[in-house]
Amino acid sequence: MTKKSSKSEPASTPKPRGSKKITSSSTAEYFSKNLQQVGFSSPTKAVLTTVKEAMDNSLDACEDHGILPNIGISIEKLGAGTMKNTDKLRIIVDDNGPGIPEADIAKVFGEYLASSKFGRGRCSRGQQGIGISAATTWALQTTATPVRVITKTKDQRKAVTCSVEVDLKNNKGITRDRQTIDWDRPHGTSVEFIMEGRVQLNGEAGLLSYLRGNVLVNPHMTLNYNLPEVGTATYERVTKDVPHVPDATEPHPHTMKLGEFLSHARLFGRTKMQTWLKTGFSRLSDKVISDIWKEQKLTKALLDKGVEAASDEELKSVYAAVQATSLMAPSTQSVVSIGEDAMSLSVERLGEIDFFAVATRKPTICDFKPIQVEVAIARIQGGSSESDEPVQVLRFANRVPLQFDKAACAIVKAITTVNWRSYGLRQPKDALPTGPYILAVSVVSPFIKFKNASKETIDASDELVEEIRRALMQAGQRLSRHLSRETKAADLEEKIQHIEKFGPVLVDTLVRITKSPDKRKTAAYEGLKKILGRDTDEAQTKLASAETALDEANLARKKRLKAFQDEDSALEALHAPPEEESEPVEEHSEVDTTADDSAVESQPRKGKKKSKDDILSVFAPEKSSKTAATKAPKKATNKSTSKKAAEEKSTKTKSAANKK
Amino acid sequence: MPSVHSPRKGRINTDIMKQCLGLCDQMLADLERAKRPILKATKCSLDNSLYDHKVGFLTPGDKKVSTELNVSSVKKMSRSVFMLEILLRNLETGNVANKRELYYVSKGEIKHNQILKPLDFADQDESDEVIDFICEMIEAYREELNCFANDRGGQTYSQQLVVTETLSDGTEAVIDLSQLGTSPFQPKNRPQNLKLKAKKKIDFGIIIESEGTANTLVANGFTKRHNCIVVGSQGVPSNAVRGWVKRIQDQLKVPLYFFGDLDAYTLQNIYRTLKAGSASSLIRNSDFSAPEVRFLGVLPEDIKKYDLNDYSVNERDVQEARSLKKARDALQNDPFFKDKRNKGLAEILEWLYKSKRRCEQQAYYAVAPRDPQIAEKIIVEKIKKGNYV
Repeated sequence: MTKKSSKSEPASTPKPRGSKKITSSSTAEYFSKNLQQVGFSSPTKAVLTTVKEAMDNSLDACEDHGILPNIGISIEKLGAGTMKNTDKLRIIVDDNGPGIPEADIAKVFGEYLASSKFGRGRCSRGQQGIGISAATTWALQTTATPVRVITKTKDQRKAVTCSVEVDLKNNKGITRDRQTIDWDRPHGTSVEFIMEGRVQLNGEAGLLSYLRGNVLVNPHMTLNYNLPEVGTATYERVTKDVPHVPDATEPHPHTMKLGEFLSHARLFGRTKMQTWLKTGFSRLSDKVISDIWKEQKLTKALLDKGVEAASDEELKSVYAAVQATSLMAPSTQSVVSIGEDAMSLSVERLGEIDFFAVATRKPTICDFKPIQVEVAIARIQGGSSESDEPVQVLRFANRVPLQFDKAACAIVKAITTVNWRSYGLRQPKDALPTGPYILAVSVVSPFIKFKNASKETIDASDELVEEIRRALMQAGQRLSRHLSRETKAADLEEKIQHIEKFGPVLVDTLVRITKSPDKRKTAAYEGLKKILGRDTDEAQTKLASAETALDEANLARKKRLKAFQDEDSALEALHAPPEEESEPVEEHSEVDTTADDSAVESQPRKGKKKSKDDILSVFAPEKSSKTAATKAPKKATNKSTSKKAAEEKSTKTKSAANKK
Repeated sequence: MPSVHSPRKGRINTDIMKQCLGLCDQMLADLERAKRPILKATKCSLDNSLYDHKVGFLTPGDKKVSTELNVSSVKKMSRSVFMLEILLRNLETGNVANKRELYYVSKGEIKHNQILKPLDFADQDESDEVIDFICEMIEAYREELNCFANDRGGQTYSQQLVVTETLSDGTEAVIDLSQLGTSPFQPKNRPQNLKLKAKKKIDFGIIIESEGTANTLVANGFTKRHNCIVVGSQGVPSNAVRGWVKRIQDQLKVPLYFFGDLDAYTLQNIYRTLKAGSASSLIRNSDFSAPEVRFLGVLPEDIKKYDLNDYSVNERDVQEARSLKKARDALQNDPFFKDKRNKGLAEILEWLYKSKRRCEQQAYYAVAPRDPQIAEKIIVEKIKKGNYV
């Protein structure tokens, strides 16, 4: 990166006019002047990005070490900021992750492009190692206060605390004030930023939306937060399964350009050509290689030659030969999925939900890259289906919530192209569906193509949009079962209302026109009630069958979910990892009681112990209300009616019909 | 002529009122016996249209649309009966109202009676639909229920024609069209009630698609030089225009010609409707079509003969593209174009469909740009030479 000499450079001797010196500047200098490119374009975004970067790092680290993450976020207003419309804030993000070895602290928080994840082709949240250093830079720029880090690995007896600054000139982190202290956890990291910014809680780009999104896609995470105005809240984890992020598979030769191919060869040194091709790439087996050689008429000698001895020309011919051959698509094993069951449990954490549907697609190949799409649609309780507000869209790329620049995103494009009306949602033409719904779409891939460096928008290729569309349609179909029951119930309700509203008017008018006596009026009114009563019976039958279909679907899912949870606890009993034994006291009790099923979910939510059945019952909320409803009438004939009002009215009309 | 074609010749208000009362009484009787009332109406669509050249217009087949009372239709039926009551009251008192006025009358009724609240119409489309439904139910013209539209078109010029109208108070108005100068006479409401008389023998009547062109011809002295009637139809003829031309045909018995653009829309939607009625108005075609009207032009052969400027059809234009598609359908399914007697017209339609060309009526003015009477000359020449279909 070449840049003109920056103003900040001290003691730059005055140059004669007209002559300009070309200097190079460090990566840190570049980013410090271009923080907007990495998510620090405004005081509002700065706060969000800081939390996001710290949280991504925590989650990634926990996953790498098989730790169930406990993450705490605290934001505190310390006073007014110097910039317009800002506050001076204290932002603390802490976790129970593996901790950072002391030697790495400066690198992690103070050096740009220092990362354990760069270019590894894994589905980790962070990739380049820019974000958290940028947050440090923002804090330094706005309040001249370095970040404060506390960290402890499980091998350390005491935690290390120090402050970190960025040396922009040399792209290096500098630590100061190192101390060792006693800390309340066996391992973990806490980072504290003092910075100016503005806390935006609500709206699509708000902090709460970000945190809720994270809660949804990380069922294994327990999150505590303390935010200005909203206070504290806790989301307990709903599964004890730490997602396994698979290691990257070897690169697929068709995804490589010639230059990459050549430098890849140089990494392998004295390996034989055949071995290099076989082990250095995916989808090149001995059989495939010999086929290529035969097909493209390459010499046998080349196959046995050491890679280092091969000339560029030879490597080019190999490259051309491989590109000319059609190969199996890359493996999809490198993607990590949340899973329908875990997501089902996680959806419940978002708040009061009427019902929901989830769909996880099988991993597949899009644009020659492995990818997996998962979708959850939930209806928020108490919202009106007639609402013209577009649905809330939660977008995730590698389980990181995306919050800005929604319109151009592949996910939004896919949503708008689905015909939601056929699933019972309202939708203006070529737009997002409307109504009180949360529509979450997660795209996971080791190679997500973003439109910009701050990773806010997924590039919309046709193949990717189509894959997301399919997932959405699958979830939509599942959701429509619920909606179908609803519309049938509404239909019945409407029909009953029709009778009450229009019956008397019809008869009265006919009587007036024909100038008929009251006797005819009474008779006609009775007759009309009978006719329309027959119709409502029919509507009731339809409603019953819609409900049966829904019940069956729920039952099947419940069975699967139960199996999933059993597996979950069995797995945990198996693992009971030794590193967790050194967990702090509050965690201890959990691990010790793994034998007891119900205690697995022992983290009390709202002070009430939740048995597994409780959790299962929230999965089908209408079920519980139904049992309550069916208990009320004397004879619980069938499970046809759930709406009390509908039931009462229908029994009336039924008895009227029976009289006849 | 089968009786169904003109069921209401000579029908008067009391007949319709009697029919409506009978219908309501039947509905009430059905309800008393807990039987669902069924309302049957003639199916007004092309697949239920018949054409016989001896009859001259499209007549309904046997297909009926029936509406049965059930939970879904109870609202529609209640609204219909409600609107019927308003219409019957108008018939009784001799009041007239157009659809928009009826919409507000219904609004007013509902305002003063809360029980009627559920019937309230959200917009005029809803009340219009109910009025049309009533008409189909009792097979009556809207006009017979004293509901008139502001019919457009029909501006008529003649030096020989005298029209006598009987007004609702029994007095008569006599209109001598020769006294109107360049102002046209325009029939309104029910032209079937008008009496026509020719002061002097009228040689022909010509119906012109563009009212503008009709006015130009008259302003240039067309009606001074020829004993004729000139009528502007202004696009697709309204009920008033259709009934008016039918009246001219029946009462004056003069040859009638239609002069308009050469395109699929004019031939199917304007000329066919004028001559033989339309599929959507099957029950009223008998009083609203003039089978004697001939197609004077523009004919495809005129393009060559007079070297007229023509254009290719713009298939990206939605309406033009639809007309072309409709032309193909018409050739296959429209009994009017399929009838042997109308082979000439079907050939023009086929030519239009295949060549995808069109030519406007005003193109005649390009033949001799300095002669303002050129269109008149060509029209007269074509009539004289029998150059029409």
